[in-house]
Amino acid sequence: MPELPKKKVGLIACSGEEIPEGTITRLAVRRVLESLRPQQSVTIWLPLFLAGGEGDRAFACFHPTIAVDGCEKRCAARGTEMYSGKPAVSIVVSDRAPTDSSELGSARRLSEAGMQVVNSLADQIARHVDELLGLKWDRRSEAALQSAKPQEDFKLSQTTCSCGSGIPVETLQVAGREVTLIGLPLVFAQFRGEGKLPSNSTKTELIETLRIYNPIPHQEEAAYAEAILQKYAAFCRRSN
Amino acid sequence: MPEEDIKVTIDKFTFLIPRDLSYSETGVWVKLEGSRARLGLSDFTQQHSGDVAFAKARPVGTKLESGDEFAEIETVKVNVSFPSPVKGTIVEISPSLEEAGELINQDPYNKGWLAVVELTDWEKDRARLLDAEGYAALVRNQVETELEA
Amino acid sequence: MKEKVLIVPCSGIGKSLGSVAREGAYIVTEELYPEQTRLMPLALLVLGDKETQTEVSSVGAIAIDGCARACAAKVVEGRGGRVARPLQVLDLCRRHPDLKPSGISELDEAGHKLAQALAVEVKALLDNLKGEVTHA
Repeated sequence: MPELPKKKVGLIACSGEEIPEGTITRLAVRRVLESLRPQQSVTIWLPLFLAGGEGDRAFACFHPTIAVDGCEKRCAARGTEMYSGKPAVSIVVSDRAPTDSSELGSARRLSEAGMQVVNSLADQIARHVDELLGLKWDRRSEAALQSAKPQEDFKLSQTTCSCGSGIPVETLQVAGREVTLIGLPLVFAQFRGEGKLPSNSTKTELIETLRIYNPIPHQEEAAYAEAILQKYAAFCRRSN
Repeated sequence: MPEEDIKVTIDKFTFLIPRDLSYSETGVWVKLEGSRARLGLSDFTQQHSGDVAFAKARPVGTKLESGDEFAEIETVKVNVSFPSPVKGTIVEISPSLEEAGELINQDPYNKGWLAVVELTDWEKDRARLLDAEGYAALVRNQVETELEA
Repeated sequence: MKEKVLIVPCSGIGKSLGSVAREGAYIVTEELYPEQTRLMPLALLVLGDKETQTEVSSVGAIAIDGCARACAAKVVEGRGGRVARPLQVLDLCRRHPDLKPSGISELDEAGHKLAQALAVEVKALLDNLKGEVTHA
């Protein structure tokens, strides 16, 4: 039984070698991975989607991703959506860089102005990582205030996602239609292990947690939350 | 029906741990073949070490105590030598090691094997080895410790 | 008119091998053979960009991969391209055991030397390929 994936964000840089903006995407993502958010992020390499990277595809399918592109072609964003799942955030460097890209230096060696764009882009990516993971930061210590909690191992449904990752899924009725939610059994097991009873506050926490792994339309959030809570209540009854 | 092999998934990385093998704590797998044991590096060990540029094993005829170095790999990241988890004599080393060290990365449990040892104290050696579940727990612990560091 | 040979580096951002592949590609296309070669970003091929696919299927490509996963070679071939010569930086490491690259965002001295050695090998391939490249 796979564990609930730890909350992390996948960063996908286009890394286009022809233009300095492509270099900026690569260096900014590396800065986030190495310095700014090393525990909360991981790099996903776009060509591996085609070259046999099942782990990268599965990760991008279930975790929120940030695509960072050099230009309006948006290879990283479009490629990720094509082969895995739509990125949660899509950033295009040319939207925020100087209009005259020669100020950025060359694709091989960025100028000082280019490195400044790298640093501000990295900060922007890091903020998005925080938002996606719902993290609150203590600005004095730069430490995340949310801590990991242990989960108990309950017997759960073995239906798993068709992509082959092995992560359990479960189907429920939302507003009269069937919806499959990724990771639902594992989230239930985690909550049950933490002793959380079905309640309004648990309902809110459930939807916030599941949102990390599933797109939940804003206008249907209330219906999703209610359906999930009812499913969780039934799960708790079975576990007693 | 045999159980599926264990897969430990952390982030985008999945480490395969076949159930029909035994493992040392240093990441060497052991497959008993009659009076002999075939040795290789686990999927976690090869991923953790990186792309293998060179690999070599001690020559045929080498007598090993448990814990003696039996093989070494050189990757772009590190040079690592591996202690033998068994006592015995090396009777065969993989012919691919010199020319195709990447087999250790690509096929760690089959074509990437390193050496075969004629055993002399299997009962004692076996008691020190981990089964697949035990090794999976060790891998999870090690990865989580490294991620928190 | 002779078409430019495409140089496709894997440019992976998870290992220094990818950085060596990229730097080697820059040395070839900017310093050694700027008139005869053109660097092609892998991301465009992954996306299935039509113009890029047409180009890669009509002109030979030298795929420079960092490791045995061979993303560049696989993607070029998967998009209908012809890999005239595949190269792997890891193989180059075996031929130059004294040069162990490190650093991803910024290569160290050994990495830059390895990139130079890579560029020399690509140059030799190009010299051999002169008669094999499709002419317009």
